[in-house]
Amino acid sequence: MSEREFHPLVKQLLDGDVTLADLPAELRAEGEEALLILGAVDRRPVQLGDFTARVMAQVVERPRRTFWRRVLEPREIRVSVRPWLLVPALAAAAALVLWLGRSGPAASSSPALVTVRFVLSAPDAHAVSVAGTFNQWNANATPLVRTGDGLWTATLTLPAGEHQYAFVVDGARWVPDPAAPAVDDGFGRRNSVLTL
Amino acid sequence: MLLAFALPLVLLMQQQPAIAGRLGGRVSPEIAALATELGTAAAARGLPVDPIIQKAIEGSAKGVPADRVAAAMRLVASQLDASRGALLTGNSALGVDTVAIAAGAFALTAGLKDGDVTALSHSGAPRADIIVGLRVAGTLSALGVPRAETVSLVQASLQAGRPAGELLSLPGQVQTQVAKGVTPAQAAAGLARAAAAQSRRGPPPGRGQPPPHPGPPPHP
Repeated sequence: MSEREFHPLVKQLLDGDVTLADLPAELRAEGEEALLILGAVDRRPVQLGDFTARVMAQVVERPRRTFWRRVLEPREIRVSVRPWLLVPALAAAAALVLWLGRSGPAASSSPALVTVRFVLSAPDAHAVSVAGTFNQWNANATPLVRTGDGLWTATLTLPAGEHQYAFVVDGARWVPDPAAPAVDDGFGRRNSVLTL
Repeated sequence: MLLAFALPLVLLMQQQPAIAGRLGGRVSPEIAALATELGTAAAARGLPVDPIIQKAIEGSAKGVPADRVAAAMRLVASQLDASRGALLTGNSALGVDTVAIAAGAFALTAGLKDGDVTALSHSGAPRADIIVGLRVAGTLSALGVPRAETVSLVQASLQAGRPAGELLSLPGQVQTQVAKGVTPAQAAAGLARAAAAQSRRGPPPGRGQPPPHPGPPPHP
């Protein structure tokens, strides 16, 4: 049986979070295929007979070791605060935090990813890029490609959430997306908003 | 017990190099110093630091004078504070973490008021849906939907038990209606009526919670 990895949006479809109509056109075939596979799964209940009883018969309660009993038994603990202990405690806390911070990449749950296409009509532009919260407002990080008829496009996969962005035309002019909602950027201009 | 006091202090001390590291080379030393100060203070109050850093980087990338960048960063910090206060008002069951605060702050940036954020956080929907609802409310406001219609639409959708995917489609639905010639307010009102009707029929299986029962009237 081969293992098939579906696009995150298709997984959302399988989870019932989105409908087939919500998927971008290029993902609909994959979505339909995934739904077919899901529909082909045999969901008849499995009869295990006396399996549970046989397993339970094998389970024998083992006596706890004395050491653990000693450790786990509740008992009264008296704590008194001594100010001169603050310094070593701070040092211990600092060491713990530094160690945690340097023990490799943090294991974080990966948020859902969504593929979006940015489009700007700028027939007279020589270069267009998109800068926003997703690329640290780097005007050089995400150039758009000219596709004809003065249209510039870029396709990005972004984490779910709220993003603000603007197009940068010819490396100098910051232009909000005319097709997207926009908010005040705090500098007298507008940022476009993308909520995924 | 001492560790319990010491750990937050050390974590705060770690904020400063973390913020400076993210800003390194992207902003002027003056803006970096202010961002570090505001960010450290925000973290101490349980606020997200990222929006402040983003505003510093954005202002510098756009070539905005330092004094205006500083003012914008302070505004972001105050909106984060306001969002936290709005979410805490009335002892919301939402839980006040940095993700929820950032979502509420975005809604405020887009034009909603503290009371709107409080109202949305009390809709009785699951926490994740409320956070999406706050972001969607901000987006609707950014589309020009008036505050009252924005809150009605998102509240009705949350109470109808609509999943996050459907909430996220609301701005697109409003844009589609506006393209047909109605105003953003009319489009949102129409969608809110549909959501309210769905809410009366009950949420889809496994989604949402019915609105709280008012309980019996007091005896005279």
